[in-house]
Amino acid sequence: MKYILLMSGTKAGVQGYLAWSPKDRDGHMAVLQSIGKELTASGEFVATQGLAVPQEAKVVRGEKDGMPITDGIFPESKEFLLGYWIVDVATPERAYAIAARISMAPGPGGVPTNMPIEVRQFATHPQPKQQ
Amino acid sequence: MKYILMMMGTKADFDAYTRWSKEDLQRNVEFMRRFSKELKDSGVFVATEGLGWPQEAKIVRAGKDGEPITDGVFPESKEFLAGYWIIDVESPEQAYKIAARASAAPGPGGKPGNMPIEVRPVLGSHADLGL
Repeated sequence: MKYILLMSGTKAGVQGYLAWSPKDRDGHMAVLQSIGKELTASGEFVATQGLAVPQEAKVVRGEKDGMPITDGIFPESKEFLLGYWIVDVATPERAYAIAARISMAPGPGGVPTNMPIEVRQFATHPQPKQQ
Repeated sequence: MKYILMMMGTKADFDAYTRWSKEDLQRNVEFMRRFSKELKDSGVFVATEGLGWPQEAKIVRAGKDGEPITDGVFPESKEFLAGYWIIDVESPEQAYKIAARASAAPGPGGKPGNMPIEVRPVLGSHADLGL
């Protein structure tokens, strides 16, 4: 079963992260990278992707003539996707355990961030899907 | 340059979608299939995924011993990722144009849904954050 583990945060949260010391950031990334390696070794790794900072986000809607209308204004409370992991696991519990490990990744001073990680299944109903 | 195009919606939006007529759903799904095929044919396609219902979403945090604590309660206003496309294009404008097409996907009665599509660059690596 494929699951996607979504890491999200507000603009303020991202600003906080960008202000971490290089040592704290390296410690955080080292743990995330080792989780990635373990998932690859166990055959559960499918994909991972980090996204650019929220300041680069645009919302696009189609106009009648098909030309895009872009807008870069979001509510303060908006949770932006920061990155994701896709894993192929035997049970939902295994997906939750991996998400918990990501949530445990160290933050400033080595204290676990305890970030919430959203865990979702892929669509099993007709939706835009890879063919 | 790689961009991710994200379709998001609240639970209420998802609920409304389930009430579309079969014909409307079919038209929408057909559009999405054709859209993905066009992205592939034009060589900009990287990946696409549709996610399961928000009702199946869980938030996971690590407990004191690292065991997962799952929670399925979200604020009404929470925007859930419905699906995404990753494309590899020459310019942000091209990404916005493609997002506008996705936004124009037909809704009830075949009218363009005019859904907001969030567009963000994806990171080649963590170093792209410029830290």
